Amino acid sequence: MTSRFTLPAFTGLAVFLGILPFTADNEYSLRLFMLFTIYAIVALGLNILVGLAGLISLGQAGLFALGAYTGAILATRLGADFVLSVVAGMLIAGLFGALLAYPTVRVRGVYLAVITIAFGLIVENVIIEWHELTGGTTGVSSIPKPSLFSIPLDGFRYYAVLAVLLFIVVVVTHNIKRSRYGRAMLAVSQSETAARSVGLNATGVRTLAFVIAASTAGLAGVLYAFLNLYISPDSFTFNDSIRFLLMVVLGGAGTTVGALTGALILTYLPEYLQQLQYWQQFAYGLLLAVVMFVLPLGIFGTLADLAGRYLKRPSSAYPMDGYAIETVVKDAKGGRTSARFVADGLTIRFGGLTALNKASMQVDPGEIHALIGPNGAGKSTLVNIVTGFYKPQEGRVSLDDVNLAGSAPHLVARSGVARTFQNTELFGELTVIENVMIGYQKRLSYGVFEAALRIGRFGEEEVECRRAAAALLSFVGLTAFTNEKARFLPFGMQRRLEIARALAAAPKLLLLDEPAAGLTTQEIDELDRMIRHIASLGISVLLIEHHVELIMSVADRVTVLDYGVVIASDVPTIIQDDPRVIEAYFGTAPATHAAAGGPAS
Amino acid sequence: MQSIIQYVLSGFAIGGCYALVALGFHIMWSTARAVNFAHGDTLMLGAVLTIMAVDQGAPLPAAIAGAIAASCLFGVLLERFAVRPFAKTASSISWMLTTIAIGIMLEALVTMEFGGFSRALPSPGVERAISVLGAGVYPQELLIPVIAVVAMAGLGWMRRYTLIGRAMQAVSFDRNAAALMGINVHRMFAFSFGLAAALGGAAGILIAPITQASASMGLTLGLKGFAVAIIGGITSTPGVVIAGLGFGVMEKFVEGYISTAAREIVGFSLTIVVLLVFPQGLFGKREVSKV
Repeated sequence: MTSRFTLPAFTGLAVFLGILPFTADNEYSLRLFMLFTIYAIVALGLNILVGLAGLISLGQAGLFALGAYTGAILATRLGADFVLSVVAGMLIAGLFGALLAYPTVRVRGVYLAVITIAFGLIVENVIIEWHELTGGTTGVSSIPKPSLFSIPLDGFRYYAVLAVLLFIVVVVTHNIKRSRYGRAMLAVSQSETAARSVGLNATGVRTLAFVIAASTAGLAGVLYAFLNLYISPDSFTFNDSIRFLLMVVLGGAGTTVGALTGALILTYLPEYLQQLQYWQQFAYGLLLAVVMFVLPLGIFGTLADLAGRYLKRPSSAYPMDGYAIETVVKDAKGGRTSARFVADGLTIRFGGLTALNKASMQVDPGEIHALIGPNGAGKSTLVNIVTGFYKPQEGRVSLDDVNLAGSAPHLVARSGVARTFQNTELFGELTVIENVMIGYQKRLSYGVFEAALRIGRFGEEEVECRRAAAALLSFVGLTAFTNEKARFLPFGMQRRLEIARALAAAPKLLLLDEPAAGLTTQEIDELDRMIRHIASLGISVLLIEHHVELIMSVADRVTVLDYGVVIASDVPTIIQDDPRVIEAYFGTAPATHAAAGGPAS
Repeated sequence: MQSIIQYVLSGFAIGGCYALVALGFHIMWSTARAVNFAHGDTLMLGAVLTIMAVDQGAPLPAAIAGAIAASCLFGVLLERFAVRPFAKTASSISWMLTTIAIGIMLEALVTMEFGGFSRALPSPGVERAISVLGAGVYPQELLIPVIAVVAMAGLGWMRRYTLIGRAMQAVSFDRNAAALMGINVHRMFAFSFGLAAALGGAAGILIAPITQASASMGLTLGLKGFAVAIIGGITSTPGVVIAGLGFGVMEKFVEGYISTAAREIVGFSLTIVVLLVFPQGLFGKREVSKV
C-alpha cells in the first residue's frame, strides 16, 4: 500500500525539520520547535489508537507523565544517562499501556473513555501523593542536562536529537499503519465479528495499538523532562489529555500528516491566543467547536474525503500477473486443503430453549454439503458453534480429528474454517482489495519490527498478499471495483466479496451462510458455478441455504435440521422425497407430528 | 464512632451532589445515547448565576429559580448545537469534543464575568450547624441526599405516569420505532438534556454553600459524576443514585483516614476495578455500545 506520495512526503518532512531551527531567532522560538516535536510524537502514537483501532484515550497525559517521571527520577536519583532514561520511560509507559488495553476485552466506548480518564487522574494524584519519589506538588527539579556519548545536548543539538527521533516515529508509525498490523486494527474497529472470523485476535490487536500509543507518549514524556529540566504535576492534567486527543482529531484521525499538523497547530495556537489576553481560553474553545463543525473528519480527513469523492482512483493500481486461483487457495505451509469435518452430538440451550439437540453431521473432503431446515431450525446456531462464536454445552466439532468446540473464533479460523455472513459483515470503510487482504492476514508471517522498518519478509509477503487478493477478486468478478470502498458495493457484490475474503485464508472448510438470499436469478446462477469451482479446488463447502433449486443443483449431500434435531442426511434426490422433510417444511396432521421428533436416521 | 457518623453524613451530602450529576448523565444517555461532557459546567452555571443574582439584590428563591431555568436552557441549546449534529456519526469522539469545547468557552466567559476566585453562596441551610448523634452537620448537608432521592423517585414517576416520560422511555428503547409511533425524537433529546441540566444546576446551587463556587468548580464534580454514573450502571436510575451516595461516603472515609490526594486515587481506582468486574456497571443492563 505504498502510496506514491509517501517518499516525497518523508523527504519534505526531513527538509522541514532541517530548516526549522534556522528560522529560530531566539531561545524561546527554538524551545517551541522542540515542544512541537515532542507533542507530535505523542500525537502520532495516539493516532494509531484513535485513527486505526478506533479507541479513545482521554488519559494520554498520564502515560506522558509516566515517561517524564521515570526519566527524570532515573536521571536525578540514579544518575542514569539519557539513552537509558529514554528506554526506561518507554518501557514503563508501554507496560501501563498494555494494562490499559486489558479492559477493552469487555469495555468500549464511553466506558473505556471513563477508564482512561480515571487512569490519567490516578497517575496525576499518585504523583502528588508520593512525595518521597516525585517531590509532590513541587515536582522534580535540577534534572541533569542530557548528553549523548558524552556530548552535551543543549540548544540546537537537543533539537537535532528530537528531530531525528520525530522522523523515526513518523516513519515507524506510518509503516505500521500500512502493514498487516494497521489493516488488522482498522478491521477490528470496523467489524470485530468479521475480524475474528478471519483469524484476527481482536484483543491482541487492540493491545498492540495501546502499547504503541503508550510507549510513544512515554518517549515524549522523557524528552519533555530533559527539555524543561523541571517537571511538576501541573503539566499532566486532564486538560493536557484533551489537548493530545484534539491534536489527532483536528488534523484528521488516521492520517500521519494530520497528526503532525494537529500537533503543530496546537503547539503554536496558545502563543497567538495570548494576545487576546482574557479571551484566550474562550477563543480556544470556540476554535475547537468551529473545527468540529466545519471539518468533522479533521483537516486532512476532510481533504481526503473530498479528494476521494472528486478524483477517480484507478480501478487497479497494480498490474496483476501469474497467480492462478488454484495456487492462491492452497496454503503453502498448510499442505492439503481439503479436510473431513465432523460435528458430533452438539447440544446448546439458550435459557429454556434447546436450539440444538444432539445434532451430528459430517462433511467429506471436497464435498458440497447443504444444511437446510425451516426458520428457527438451528442452522445459524450450528454455524456459530462451528466457527467458535457459541460454545456448545455438549458435543464435539472436529476438522481432521482436531477438536474445535470451545476454541475462540480466531483460533477456529486459523485451523482452516472460513465463513461468510447471512447479513454481510464487511469492513465497509476499507477498499475491496483491502478486505480480501485482511482475509489473507493469517498467512503473513512478518513481525512488528519487520513491518516498522520495512525489512525482512515484509516486502515479499506484502506483494504476495496483494497479488493473491487480486487473483481472488478476478475469481469473484470484482476486479473493476478493486479500490472502491466496500460499503459502496451493491448487495450481491458484497456477498461475492465476502466469499473472496473467506477464500483468501486458504480454508479447508468454507461455510456459506445463506449466500443466495437477496440475489437475483442471474446472480444465483453465477453463485452456483462459483461454489462448484471452489469445491473442485478441494475445499469442503458447507452451504446453509433456503433456495431449493440451488441446493438440488450443487449439493452432493443434504442434512436437514428441524427444531434443533437432525431429521435426515442423504443425497438430494432422496431428501426431496423424505416424508419427514416434507412434513418439517409443510406440516402435517397433529397426530403424526409426535412421531417425527426422534433422532436422525 | 462520632467521626464515623460525621463521615457518613458529610459523605451523603457530597454523594447526593454526585447522584444528581449522575442522574443527569443517566437521563441524557438513556434517551440520546450521548452525554454532555460539559455537564459539570452546568453545576458551575447554576451556582455562579445564583450568586450573581443575589449580588444584584434578587431574593434567594427567585435567584435559584432563574439560575435553574438558565441551566436548563443551556442544556437544551447545547443538545441542539453541539450534540445533535454529530449524533448520526459512528464515533462518539465528535460530540465528546464539541461539548468539551462549549464547556471551555463557558468556563472562560464565567471567569471573565465572575472573576477567577471562589465564593460561598449564602444560604439559610448553613447558618447554624446542628448536632446529629454527636456529629456536627449543616441542615443543607442533610437536604442534598434527600433531594437526590426525591429526584430519582420523581423521574421514576414521570416515566411511568406521564406522557412525556413514557415517550422518553420509548425513545430509549428504540428511537426509530418511537419515531414511527409519532414521537418527536429530537424534542425528547432536547427535553432530556434540559432536564439533566436543570438537575445539574440545582446540584451546583445545593453544593455551593458548603464547598465554594468558582468558574472551575465543574470539572472535578462533572468527572466524578460521570464516573459515578458509569459505576452505578448508566442505564439504571436507582443504580446511579446508590453509587453516588456510596461514592461520597467512601471519599469522606479515605479523606479522613488518609489524605485528599488518596481520595482521588482510591475513587478512580475503584472506578476501573468496578468496570473490570461489571462491564455494565453495578446495576446496569447489557447494551450494545456504539463507538
